[in-house]
Amino acid sequence: MGIVARVKRTLGIGGNDAEIAEELRFHLDMDMADGHDERAARLRLGHAALIAEDTRAMGVVAWLESVIEDVRFGLRQLRKHPVVMAAIVLSLAIGIGANTAIFGLVDAALLRPLPVTDPDSLRIVEWTHHELPKGVSNVNGDFTRVNSDLVRASSISAGLYRALARQQTSFEPLMGVADPNSLAVAVGSLPAEQVGLQYVSANFFQGLGLAPAAGRAFTAADDRLAQEPVVIVSHRFWRSRLGADRDLSSKIVRINNAPVRVVGVAPPRFFGLQPGQWTDVYTPLAARVAFGQIGSGATTARGEDDSDWWVRMIGRVTPGSSPEAATAGLAAVFRTMAVPQLVSKPGRRGFGGLNPRDETALRMLLWLVGLLLLIVCVNIANLLLSRSVARQRESALRLALGAGRLRIFRQHLIESALLALLGGAGGLVLGYVLAQSIHVMFQTGRSASSAFDLQIDLRLMAFASAAAVAAALLFGVLPAIRAARSEVGDALKAQTRTIANGGLRVPRAFVSIQMALCLTALVAAGLLGRSLENLETSEIGFDRSHLAYATVNPWQSGYDAQRVGQYVARAREAIAAIPGVSGVGPIQVRLLSGNGNFMRARFPGRPAGAEDGFTMNSVGEGLFDILGIPIVSGRALDRSDQTPQTSAVVVDERFALRYFPHENAVGRRFGTSEKDSARFEIVGVVRDSRYSSLRADPQPGVYFPFVPATNRGQVHFAIRASIGAAALAESVRQAAASVDPAVPVTEFHTQTELIDRLLRTERLLGFLFAAFGIVALAVAAIGLGALLAYAVARRTNEIGVRMALGAARRDVVGLVLGDSLGMVAAGVLLGVPAAFLTARMLKTLLFGLDPFDPSTAAVSVAALVATALVAAWIPARRAASIDPMTALREE
Amino acid sequence: MAKPDHLQGALELLVLKILRRGAAHGFAISANIRSTSDDVLRVEAGSLYPALHRMTEAGLLKAEWRVSDAGRRARVYEITGKGRRTLEAAEKRWLSVSAAVAKVLREV
Repeated sequence: MGIVARVKRTLGIGGNDAEIAEELRFHLDMDMADGHDERAARLRLGHAALIAEDTRAMGVVAWLESVIEDVRFGLRQLRKHPVVMAAIVLSLAIGIGANTAIFGLVDAALLRPLPVTDPDSLRIVEWTHHELPKGVSNVNGDFTRVNSDLVRASSISAGLYRALARQQTSFEPLMGVADPNSLAVAVGSLPAEQVGLQYVSANFFQGLGLAPAAGRAFTAADDRLAQEPVVIVSHRFWRSRLGADRDLSSKIVRINNAPVRVVGVAPPRFFGLQPGQWTDVYTPLAARVAFGQIGSGATTARGEDDSDWWVRMIGRVTPGSSPEAATAGLAAVFRTMAVPQLVSKPGRRGFGGLNPRDETALRMLLWLVGLLLLIVCVNIANLLLSRSVARQRESALRLALGAGRLRIFRQHLIESALLALLGGAGGLVLGYVLAQSIHVMFQTGRSASSAFDLQIDLRLMAFASAAAVAAALLFGVLPAIRAARSEVGDALKAQTRTIANGGLRVPRAFVSIQMALCLTALVAAGLLGRSLENLETSEIGFDRSHLAYATVNPWQSGYDAQRVGQYVARAREAIAAIPGVSGVGPIQVRLLSGNGNFMRARFPGRPAGAEDGFTMNSVGEGLFDILGIPIVSGRALDRSDQTPQTSAVVVDERFALRYFPHENAVGRRFGTSEKDSARFEIVGVVRDSRYSSLRADPQPGVYFPFVPATNRGQVHFAIRASIGAAALAESVRQAAASVDPAVPVTEFHTQTELIDRLLRTERLLGFLFAAFGIVALAVAAIGLGALLAYAVARRTNEIGVRMALGAARRDVVGLVLGDSLGMVAAGVLLGVPAAFLTARMLKTLLFGLDPFDPSTAAVSVAALVATALVAAWIPARRAASIDPMTALREE
Repeated sequence: MAKPDHLQGALELLVLKILRRGAAHGFAISANIRSTSDDVLRVEAGSLYPALHRMTEAGLLKAEWRVSDAGRRARVYEITGKGRRTLEAAEKRWLSVSAAVAKVLREV
């Protein structure tokens, strides 16, 4: 039909329609006048509307009408095949939902820049040196050895930072922050809770371009040692604890029991500089002294200790300068103050919230969900393809009845679009739920400050939906074209008498590919799960059961070096008196808490080795018995050692073997600096135990006597008790209160809780991979089941013939199950190499496990086969219940 | 949207032939085909009216609304010059084809 005529008709549609209607009405009337009744006449006339449509050709309105008709027809079709349709919609929802959720997490954890002004101009400043600089006792944050004569570390002392920030001009400005840590903060009469607190320089908020949501930012005057400490709270803390009150003049929070004024509120969504860690309280660097958070360098003097390096630096490159030039300028200024060389790295993402291992794992996960989307697309393609074969006849029939090819093509398209819409809506809901639950899982076992700024990313959802819709359309269209092209006669003749598996070759291959992908995921999940198990049951060198730690901080309640020893002794006695407690003693570093101190070792009469060092702990009397660490030689530390003047220390076997390989270590001396290298005398050697990490190669360890007067800050009591953790925690609180109610128990953890905290990332990832594997398997099973069901329907005749010729029902079931297993076998052949490749990439995440672990692979294959059999069971049963007579009659 | 054109050709041929004898409305054409063919050929309205409109479009027919004896408006079709020439050619082709078919049917 010419375009002119079509437009003409489109414009004149009203009159034309009426004329056609009138003409047909006339025909009808004449027919009735001819002696037929109205019904017969109408039958003879045919469907008046259809004729009208054919007669008037297509106008725009008519086109719309016909689309609506097609949509209705499409919905009817979907209702007619509920299983296949549900399978498609469900897999679409899973694919879109999982992708959106995981991407949300990865985006928050790895991709999104900090919520500050111009994050791209931020640089993190670190330093490198050939060793720990002289006079430095402690370095917080990252401290990594790049190679044998270069270490890279991230923090400097508060004094150095202030001097540097004042003198330099390369950064506008240079900010200083401590790593966020957890402190007991109370509001009003509510009990204290642990929240994330971060010491920041006075220029922190201005430097990041953040305007306070209420109150003011810090000023230089706030960051002075003698100054009464003030805090700025996060927006969420302000809303949940301070009632979002804009008047801050009377707002007080108690930090470690000391009242502190709230002067400002950070902007909404600002979580700090560490993704995954939500800082709720910011306070100036100088307040660290007031809050008693002196580092493990443990000096008795009140004030900032320049040997304790704990301030990280992040700066904004002065406009017009390059990062390299700015760093060089800063380094030049720093060289006048200290020896290390300053270097810088991009700071747009802030300080790494995740360690590189977690990061690799998350990226891996992102790839995996991408893979899941692929599986889903393949699955949909498969279901639509196998169904379209069935619809070839329907299409041919409609063609024969006079339907236009374009119309049939459009019909297929509309059906695909309907499916995509339904699946997309499901994905939206599922994505939201999944993202929230993953986030909750991420937070369990972590401090309250662990949180991501999780957002459902609409762009990603759009992308995932588009991908799935594109797949649906593509695979809906290909068969549609085939359907529209089909020759009327051929298609009708072909009828149902199809040859065994013909026409389903592509869908079958797709199922095998899906199975291969599932196998890959299952192997990955299995490996991660087993290495988690290995980590949990690995040898740690001490008895982790019935062991707990309670934490107090008497310094904050006014105890000084003279009186603190007495307090610790009395608290220890009070806890020891609790029924069920078999031993208790102070310990400086809780084992496997993720924290630790590394010190340099120097030996009299020996050249200094750059890497000579040890992990240190200080323990009270009898603590080796409490922890269950056996003495190998010499003696344990006793009461007489617990004085500042003592030289007695105990080392572990690793220390003895490394530094005194050919002699008895007991009686030998060492020190922590060149000029005092005979400060300590080894009085005993104990068995090795795990210190701060379950994974890292353990370092030599030294146990010093615990001297309360020199251990400024928190005191942890290690408690061995036979009673339950909750009851013990309550008894310990009461015992502490009975000694001095002004010193509260700030933390209570069992050893297993601490270990669980170490393994939270492994657990989260293991769970996610397993969930992914199961979901992928479910999707694949849906696809396999639907394909088999369809194949059975197509082979009804063949099966009928077989049964008529004497095949038993068992044979028929075997036929279908065998069909299913064939596809799985192909999938396994494809999947095993893919799984090994993936496992090799996962190598760094594994613990005590070979990536090519045969038993994991075997279990995965077994799971795959079992799933395939279950998926095939319903179609197989249906095949077995075919009545040969009915099947043959249908022919 | 092409359809198999043998049947269509036949319908058009019959319509043209009937209209050669004089203008008629759609119902008259279908009644005429049925009675002349002794009820063997029945043309459904679903085929006839689209065909009439198509032929009008192609200039083989012209249509106008007339008032019938009973005082009703009816759309009446008339053959055009082009229609007549098409009829002649089509008639000749049809006769030769059907004669050929008949011959084959007889002799094979």
